[in-house]
Amino acid sequence: MIRSVKIENFKCIKGSFTLDFKKGINILVGNNEAGKSTILEAIHLALSGIFRGKLVKGNLTQYLFNYEVVKEYLENVNDGKTSEPPYILIELYLDEVLPILEGDKFSEKKTTGKTSGIALKIALDEKYNEEYESLIKSGNIESLPIEYYDVEWYSFARKALTARSIPIKSSFIDVGFSKFRNGSDIYISRIVQNILDTDEKTKVAQAYRKVKETFSKDQSIADINSKITDISKLSNKEIELTVDLGSRSTWDGSLITQLDKIPFDFIGKGEQSIIKTDLALSNKRAEASSIILIEEPECHISHSRLNQLLNNIKDNYHDKQIILSTHSSFVSNKLGLDNLILLNKQKTVKFDHLSSKDFFEKVSGYDTLRLILCKKAILVEGDSDELVLQRAYRDNNNDKLPIEDEVEIISVGTSFLRFLEIAECLEIPVKVVTDNDGDLESLKRKYKNYLGKNKKSNIEICYEEKIHTGPLTIGKDNKPFNYNTLEPALLRANSLEKLNSIFDTKYETEDSLLKYMKSNKTDCALKIFSSQDKINYPEFIMRAL
Amino acid sequence: MKNNLLIAAAGAGKTTHFVQESLKLTESVLITTFTEENKEEIRKKFFELNNGVIPHNVTIRTWFSFLIEHGAKPYQGKLTNKNINGLLLMNKKSGFRYKNGKFPVYYKETEVEKHYFSNDFQIYSDKLSKFVVRCNDKNNGYVIERIARLFKHIFIDEVQDMAGYDLEIIKLLFQSDSIIKIAGDPRQVTYQTHFPDKYKKYSDGKIQEFILNECKSIDVNIDTDTLKDSWRNNQIICNFANYLFPEYPSCDSLHNEITGHDGVFLVREKDIERYLIEYSPTQLRYSRTKKVNPNYEVKNFGESKGTTRDRVLIYPTQKISDWLLNDKKLDDFDIKCKFYVAVTRARYSVAIVCKNNIETDILPIYEY
Repeated sequence: MIRSVKIENFKCIKGSFTLDFKKGINILVGNNEAGKSTILEAIHLALSGIFRGKLVKGNLTQYLFNYEVVKEYLENVNDGKTSEPPYILIELYLDEVLPILEGDKFSEKKTTGKTSGIALKIALDEKYNEEYESLIKSGNIESLPIEYYDVEWYSFARKALTARSIPIKSSFIDVGFSKFRNGSDIYISRIVQNILDTDEKTKVAQAYRKVKETFSKDQSIADINSKITDISKLSNKEIELTVDLGSRSTWDGSLITQLDKIPFDFIGKGEQSIIKTDLALSNKRAEASSIILIEEPECHISHSRLNQLLNNIKDNYHDKQIILSTHSSFVSNKLGLDNLILLNKQKTVKFDHLSSKDFFEKVSGYDTLRLILCKKAILVEGDSDELVLQRAYRDNNNDKLPIEDEVEIISVGTSFLRFLEIAECLEIPVKVVTDNDGDLESLKRKYKNYLGKNKKSNIEICYEEKIHTGPLTIGKDNKPFNYNTLEPALLRANSLEKLNSIFDTKYETEDSLLKYMKSNKTDCALKIFSSQDKINYPEFIMRAL
Repeated sequence: MKNNLLIAAAGAGKTTHFVQESLKLTESVLITTFTEENKEEIRKKFFELNNGVIPHNVTIRTWFSFLIEHGAKPYQGKLTNKNINGLLLMNKKSGFRYKNGKFPVYYKETEVEKHYFSNDFQIYSDKLSKFVVRCNDKNNGYVIERIARLFKHIFIDEVQDMAGYDLEIIKLLFQSDSIIKIAGDPRQVTYQTHFPDKYKKYSDGKIQEFILNECKSIDVNIDTDTLKDSWRNNQIICNFANYLFPEYPSCDSLHNEITGHDGVFLVREKDIERYLIEYSPTQLRYSRTKKVNPNYEVKNFGESKGTTRDRVLIYPTQKISDWLLNDKKLDDFDIKCKFYVAVTRARYSVAIVCKNNIETDILPIYEY
């Protein structure tokens, strides 16, 4: 199983990126550009030599490289500055000790003790140093000189690898689906190959050969052949049609998998991924350590089927390692928040490393995921705050819903700090909208890690700097009314008349309206939210938008 | 026992023994031997004894390729990170730097890339095993541990040709978890892996002494019995070969086929042509400088090792003739070994060329 992966300059990863995995299920969660697919693709590439259904060797393109790295390199070269030609490196550090892959050719030098692993490097081939030099001297190059690049695929023992020589079986269940020329799916045939043992494979190969031979010997083919030979007047040599028996293309490229008599390719994509996952999970060959990579299982699939799929994964992964990427909070929740790895701009947070882990385990992970997956979040205390903020956002953004801009307004109760912990780790822009409750000191104490000299560039605490007081008391004990919550602030920003018209009420004094608002918070918020009229918002709310 | 040394006579069936032993095993097996030819012999023997298949748990490598793949490369990082481009076979000490008057000066071990490697970064054959031992030392013994985990059983053939650091590697393997079986014929030292300063006194086929003196604290069973007799040579040839190395247990023949021309003969120079026509022997010579009849198969003594022929015709060197006919001592170890190899190639007859005027009753003389 994979202990960690190190990726350099591959696709959306600029520079070096390392990610640790654990046994069993690992869930990669993150925004669209966070690099989830890149990580899965990198792992799969290092395990199989295949990128998007094609052997990477012989199919090198500049687009495998990080765009910015290539751009910087080209700029440097064209400015006459020396610049090392960019390379891609993927290293998989394995957990179990596999002596055949053990050695000291790896770059993560902190690693001590026996280390097994495999690596794939795409770099300038030393053979072409001369050609490359003259190319650089001529200056002005438009693109990476990929023709001088080569793929090195090796174990940490410096032994060149082939797909066969890797003792780890991997299956990649992706969204794109990669096909052979005849439409059969590359990965399903890989998975089927993984399940079969050598003996069985030989038998299938022989049967396939036999069919091809029988075909060439069939009477109708013989008839055709004599006809062709007769037609040809140019040569007296025998001409015949036959099946390509010698080619290395074996049965796996020619056979297709059928489901209920329907070719695999013609069934729904969701169903395809369910079956592939099933097959991959059912690989019981003991000697092979297995890794299953699953890209966004929620794609192309109904909720109930997704549920089945997830149950299947959960119940049957046994000693296989699963690395799965998802956008779906449902998927993450279902497979266990413990297994979450949060990704954002090459930063990662392991869920089980967060100090608030216990808390998040108790509540639904849904809100956490909303935070992780958004571009920007506004944290509020309760439902009424949420409604008001929703409306305020629309009023200030041409009637767009926050979600349309990937902005999430999340009501977090009293758990502000726990959410801020994640936001801090992942550098997610967050605004907190909070009441000062008439006690600025305690508010500043509470948010001391985010205020003043500790202010984080991505986190802003929005509250009212001023303490308001008034004559109103409430309850039997005549407790002083709290003038420092959302409702009084709204009243201050608007007028009695305005709010009366929004709430469809006829209070004559501000105090009586405040009392009403206090005991009907959600109602009032809902009315503000759905009203035809716009209201004014207090300054600290405007700051959050 | 975990560690075994088998002293084998020529033609005793070492290869067959190794192959049969490894076919009994289900765990991973490494069989390593010296030359490519010998490796081929082992492969063929598997094909013969195992329905044309080499079992998947068996790996066959030459000693050098085994050392490069599993000895040098996995943990070379502490010595050099450059890519090793294979092996450069050396027939003299490598790493020559310049000549100081008469004396050659060599690169020191500290200049790693010059000491061990040629300009195009091939590793010198005479330093490969030293490099392996150094990698192992610098990595807490990981190199040997890794090998031991890869191969539960290790068979090493032709150990008489091992020298210097090769012996150190064998010693390390003895101390590992693998089950080691090494075999060799100390009378057939024809080719040494290098020209060692280390363990110099155990060159000249003294593998047995090496084990007795240097591996005292390690359990190694020395078996001089199992492979002492020959399936190849007839009794007369065995006797003649025993006479060359009286200090070893005498070897007996395990076959008694009669062809009508059996044993060891002298052939006068003038009769060579007739003898070749009559018996078609393979001609064996010490080196290429000896002119022979090009129409019949010819091999140098050294390269004939491992092969079997019905009949051979040997062109002896002066020292061999002197030993045979003039009762002089044959104290050149190299010539003695190679002659032993030449003699033991034949199943039925060994003929040795002599001057026309020879009259002797030491051996029957070929007359037509």
